[in-house]
Amino acid sequence: MIEWSHWLPILAMLPLVGGALTPLLFRHRPAAACFWAVSVASVTSVVAIALLLRLVDSGGFSYAVGGWLPQYGIELRMDEVGAFAVPASLLVLLSLVFSRHYVARAVDASRVSFYYALVLINLGGLNGFLVTGDLFNLFVFMEIFSVSAYALVATAREPIASLAALKYLLLGAASSLLVLFSVGVVFAMTGTLNLEDAAAALALSSPMPAGLALAGLATGFAVKAALFPVHFWLPDAHAAAPAPVSAVLSALVVKAGIVGVLRTLELFGGAESLLQPLLHLVVWLGALGALGGALMALVQRDIKLMLAYSTVANIGYIFIGLGLATASAVSGAMVHAVNHAVIKSALFLAAGAMIHRTGLRNIDDLRGLGRRMPVTAFGMAFTLIALSGAPPMAGFTGKWQIALGALQAGHPSLVAVLVIAGIVVLAFGIRVINALYFRPPARVAVASATEAPASMWLPVLMLTIASLALGLAGTPMLEFVGPAAQSIYGTLP
Amino acid sequence: MSGASSLSLLALLAVLVPITGGLLVFTAGRWNHRAAGLAVVGVVSLGSFAIVIVMTIAMAWQASHGLQAESVLFTLVPPIDIALRVDAMGALFAATIAALVPLALAHAVGYLPDDARQWKFHGFVLVSLGCMTGVALSANLVTLLLFYELFSLLAWPLIVHERTPEAFRAGVKYLVYILSGGGMVFAGVALVYWLADSAQFMPGGLLSHSMLDELPRGGLIAACCLLLAGFGVKAALMPLHGWVPDAHPAAPAPFSAVLSGVMVAVGVFAILRVLLEIFGPALLVELGVLPWLAGFAGVAVVAAAILAVAEDDLKRRLAYSTISQMAYVSLAVTLLDPTALAGALAHITHHAFFKGGLFFCAGSILALTGLRKISRMRGLGRRMPWTAGTLTLLALAMMGIPPLSGFVGKWTLGSGMAQAGGFGHLAVILLGSLLAAVYLWPVIYRIWQRPEDGDPMQDGPSADVGRERRRWMLFAVLAAGCITIALGVAAGLPGFPLELARLAADQLLGVSAWK
Amino acid sequence: MTPELVDIRPLLAVLVSLACAGAVFAVRHRARWRAFWSLAAAGIKFALVWSMLPGALAGRVYVYQFGELLPGVAFGFRVDALGLFFALVSSTLWVLTTIYALGYMRGSHSLHRFFGFFALCISTTVGIAFAENLLTLFVFYELLTICTYPLIMHNEDLAARRAARKYLVYTLFGGGLILAGMVLLHSVTGTLSLAETGILDASVGDHWLLAIFLLLIAGFGVKAALMPLHAWLPAAMVAPTPVSALLHAVAVVKAGVFGILRTIYNVFGIDLLRDLGYADWLAMLAGVIMVVASVQALRQKEIKARLAWSTISQLSYIVLAAALLTPLAALAAIIHIANQAFSKITLFFVAGAIERGTGRKRVDELAGVGRLMPWTMAAFTLASLSFIGVPLMAGFVTKWYLSLGALDAGAGIYVAVMVISGLLNAAYWLPMIHQAFFKPLPSEPGNDLRNRPRVSSMMIGPILVCAAYVILLGAGASAPSMPFSLAEAAARFAFELEVPLE
Repeated sequence: MIEWSHWLPILAMLPLVGGALTPLLFRHRPAAACFWAVSVASVTSVVAIALLLRLVDSGGFSYAVGGWLPQYGIELRMDEVGAFAVPASLLVLLSLVFSRHYVARAVDASRVSFYYALVLINLGGLNGFLVTGDLFNLFVFMEIFSVSAYALVATAREPIASLAALKYLLLGAASSLLVLFSVGVVFAMTGTLNLEDAAAALALSSPMPAGLALAGLATGFAVKAALFPVHFWLPDAHAAAPAPVSAVLSALVVKAGIVGVLRTLELFGGAESLLQPLLHLVVWLGALGALGGALMALVQRDIKLMLAYSTVANIGYIFIGLGLATASAVSGAMVHAVNHAVIKSALFLAAGAMIHRTGLRNIDDLRGLGRRMPVTAFGMAFTLIALSGAPPMAGFTGKWQIALGALQAGHPSLVAVLVIAGIVVLAFGIRVINALYFRPPARVAVASATEAPASMWLPVLMLTIASLALGLAGTPMLEFVGPAAQSIYGTLP
Repeated sequence: MSGASSLSLLALLAVLVPITGGLLVFTAGRWNHRAAGLAVVGVVSLGSFAIVIVMTIAMAWQASHGLQAESVLFTLVPPIDIALRVDAMGALFAATIAALVPLALAHAVGYLPDDARQWKFHGFVLVSLGCMTGVALSANLVTLLLFYELFSLLAWPLIVHERTPEAFRAGVKYLVYILSGGGMVFAGVALVYWLADSAQFMPGGLLSHSMLDELPRGGLIAACCLLLAGFGVKAALMPLHGWVPDAHPAAPAPFSAVLSGVMVAVGVFAILRVLLEIFGPALLVELGVLPWLAGFAGVAVVAAAILAVAEDDLKRRLAYSTISQMAYVSLAVTLLDPTALAGALAHITHHAFFKGGLFFCAGSILALTGLRKISRMRGLGRRMPWTAGTLTLLALAMMGIPPLSGFVGKWTLGSGMAQAGGFGHLAVILLGSLLAAVYLWPVIYRIWQRPEDGDPMQDGPSADVGRERRRWMLFAVLAAGCITIALGVAAGLPGFPLELARLAADQLLGVSAWK
Repeated sequence: MTPELVDIRPLLAVLVSLACAGAVFAVRHRARWRAFWSLAAAGIKFALVWSMLPGALAGRVYVYQFGELLPGVAFGFRVDALGLFFALVSSTLWVLTTIYALGYMRGSHSLHRFFGFFALCISTTVGIAFAENLLTLFVFYELLTICTYPLIMHNEDLAARRAARKYLVYTLFGGGLILAGMVLLHSVTGTLSLAETGILDASVGDHWLLAIFLLLIAGFGVKAALMPLHAWLPAAMVAPTPVSALLHAVAVVKAGVFGILRTIYNVFGIDLLRDLGYADWLAMLAGVIMVVASVQALRQKEIKARLAWSTISQLSYIVLAAALLTPLAALAAIIHIANQAFSKITLFFVAGAIERGTGRKRVDELAGVGRLMPWTMAAFTLASLSFIGVPLMAGFVTKWYLSLGALDAGAGIYVAVMVISGLLNAAYWLPMIHQAFFKPLPSEPGNDLRNRPRVSSMMIGPILVCAAYVILLGAGASAPSMPFSLAEAAARFAFELEVPLE
């Protein structure tokens, strides 16, 4: 009988170590670096899946690093939120596969091994963040994935990339400081950094410093998650980064911010009087983000910028769901986080493949590409429709649940927000589809383009299929996250 | 085969033979063989006539044995069947149609130019023959509605057959009137079905058989008015007659004959069916619609006759006369007297032949001389003696001079009115006959006058114009004349229209007409 | 309770067209294979759908479930009488439209895309027909929107793009309304099933009921071209004729109407609606549309524009009939789905044939066309007589039952409205027939229509078959295994009547 909990540190440590080794081992062999990174990510994915199966089979479990038991030692634990490590590892894996040909053009040759290293470290940071049971480590892992993300944005050759990275860095650093400060406050109040113990202590504590900590944590993670109105670093950063990085950022890194928010809610679950106003605020900010992001996406000409704004919109949906605090809304938000990750990475990868083949990123320039790159274009068209929330694709489940939750909570106007935002998303989706399929090519680069290599279209296709499959698997997913939603919020209506 | 089933088979044939034959004739333009085309037209029309005659005899035999037969064709709107039934009134009317139409077709052979389009004319007339027979033999209102709408539409291409601007205008006017009427008929039929849960024609009245007390009086009156007005358009019941004076002169003469002789009569026939077999005498009296109908019909008899007097175009004058003559029938039925009804039914048949014949004459004159205006017809009698002679004879018949057919109908009708105490009605009829003399006498007088200077018929370079060389037209004219004489002289013989009309009145009112 | 049988045929019927689309996309530019797959799939689907008719007439209900898409909302098919009726109409017309389109579209560009999406459209239409619950219906409904888009766009010129955009804006908006209505519905009832005669009840509260009613009716009303949500329909006439035919007669507008019928009969249920009185307003609206759209049609000079407005008018017959809430009116509503479909598709086919054969698109250019294309124009005449409501044609059957239904509902005024609408129909169809048959061909030098391109028999054939259907539907209602009895069964189910209607 293997003790499953021993596997938990592997989830974080393997990519971290693997990433650190990459520049040392493969400095001048980019192809080998890619192969190495893919191998590491594959093993990590297998471990993640194994842990998920274990979780489904017999519930959550935890591991004390070095045998030091909680309250003093570092605790890692696997729960339903931590299960996000599975899509995270798989999506990073696919992005790495995609990167093989992509980085040759998009990243300076001398930086390629660092690129792979950073992606792996990012994954390690994410996984660690997801499975840690301890506030301080939460902060540490957050810094790991954040810093690697800043650097990844900067690897792009685009002139704007370093500026975007700087913007991202400044805001990210500020939010990290807020989080660190709040962690300090919590530790000062409770004397522990373990999440469960701290939560128990906070439930009994006085509102004033706890409120400060809550505000700090929430704001800090909200910046990471790009909640409106602290989202403005996101479009530039996501648009400027290399496409696979954009995929990872949009799909996973901002979701880590959401996981952070969930952890915060977990931490303050006992202090209901503090939580209520915050949740209210989150709902309406989310609604504004959903509408504003969708509308901003509609007016973009750059395809990646458009996708980046749509991320803002989808983060808005998720926050609506979290803020509504009803069973169906919260589980819907959690499922939507996964589904959006899959859909959005498919979109970014498809956009990347197009940019890779044509060098063009303006939607109007991409006209007529549908016939030149059939698989990629199909993937993009399909996932754009999925993104709008058309049933039975993946985008639908979460929105439906959030809408139901909105009605249960007595906010019918939010249903209108969701519906209108969905229509707007579909509208810009149709705009892209229109350009791809129904317009004659306007650029020579398009007319002479051919389908991307298999290392690019295969991940796109797999994610496209996944965006349908996850939509059909809505019920099991909701059932899976249901208990977690209940436990985070105490009891939900 | 039992008598009943053979009768229904005959009814079916009477409807279907002309329709299929007509559809066949449409394609005759492609055969490139005139004799073959004419042979088909002849066989179909005479065959239909024969079928109807046999059917009528079979009906008379069955009626004396108290049998009833109905044949179901198909179902349009379940649960109502499209069904045919032969009774005396229907048989009489079917026989009239089946006899007049072959004559009109014969006249058309001479009248129409010999080109591919003549087959369309023949085809459409034959199909409408089938549909009109269908109206005559309908067993219920929906069947009647079906055939009524179909032949109403079929008349449109016939009216515009000449393709002149006047014809197109008349066609549009016709359609507007008839379709509006059709709409009212539809609403009325739906209302009747809704009220009674059935649309079956029944002697004594369908609605009288249902629970009268439960039926809303307003609904009944509405249904009655809708049906009367709807069919009244076709029956040229004033003030719904507007299409009649335009359509008749515009249509080719043989079709004007059919139009006046039987198509307008179909409207009257439908009114009779509705009044006597849907509402029934008892209910009509109770509802109080009859005096109104009598009023309208009475005014129509006189007013249309006065308008006819003022008209110089021969075909228009005849068209107004049709309005006037058909109003007799509507007027007669309001008394609910069997004798008057029998007279009215006989008058429909008699009128078909003398009015059809008059239109044949007008058509012959138009085709051979190009004359429409009565005032320019001086001297015609000498140029076209046979046609002019028949025209005189038929005009006399219409005026009601014994022993011609017009007299028989009016006499029976009038005596019935007198018996039922409708002296006002009688006075109107007499006035109408007097006016008929006023508008027809100038025609007779004018054509037998000696031509004067400037008249088209004056002897001179155009002396050859108007010679009666087209045999087919002449044949139709003379045949109509002979039938009119025969129907008058031999009116009392069994098997003639008057006898059948009496049987019909007997069946419809349940009371024996005179004797 | 009706016996439910698990049967794979509903699924197969949907999948056949889906597979056909895949095959058509795969063969790309090989025209023979494209034609083969399209026709084969149409034929198989036709056989599959019709094979369910005897069972459905015997009262069986075929179901096929995939499992839950969302908690409490399954994704599945359920073939009841109303759904099968709609599926019968669309699968029959698919065969005909495919044949016609093969003739009409010959030589056009991007044909694999055209026929592929064509097949997808029908797949989704049958999905709508067989949907077991509102969510499944909505899935296919939205897919239909997306699949019709490339078809409207087919010409890829400015006008096509504009029309397609308009279409999308309208239908997406409508889809949004339906989604919102559906969410409301699910939150108050916890189910979206379409298997009942009403899942709502009065305890829900008036304002919720009103909101659901308005959202669903307006949402479905977009595709049903319910005025004032109709503007996309005349604009979408820029599409190739087979697409217009498909939009107008089979897939899109009927999907909207079908949704309205489902809303009235299966979501609200007759009794509840009768108590609420919303349907009276809907009926009034439909009555107004009937006349206004006909007047608009009268003013159009383009043949297809006239057809489009006539569609708007005809669809409101169905809405009116459904809103009258009497059994006979329900029968009229359901049967008119078929009647309007066959009559209107005939007219569209003819308009396309005239365009291909003579290049004429306007009403006043029709002079003499009857001489050139006698059979085609004869079919046109039959179909327009059907719209006028002449007995023997399909349209009369609707008019008759709708009148009786209106009288039953105590709303005799609608009989008058219908008569007026019939006259207006006559006013815009008959002049076209007049032009075609009675006016001589204009003799223009250099433009001798006698040497016109021959119209493919693949276009004439479907026209004649459709015209024959118009008569068959009008005169053959009582013939065995005609869809009429199915429509009657559907109407009876909605009203929970055991005995046949009258």
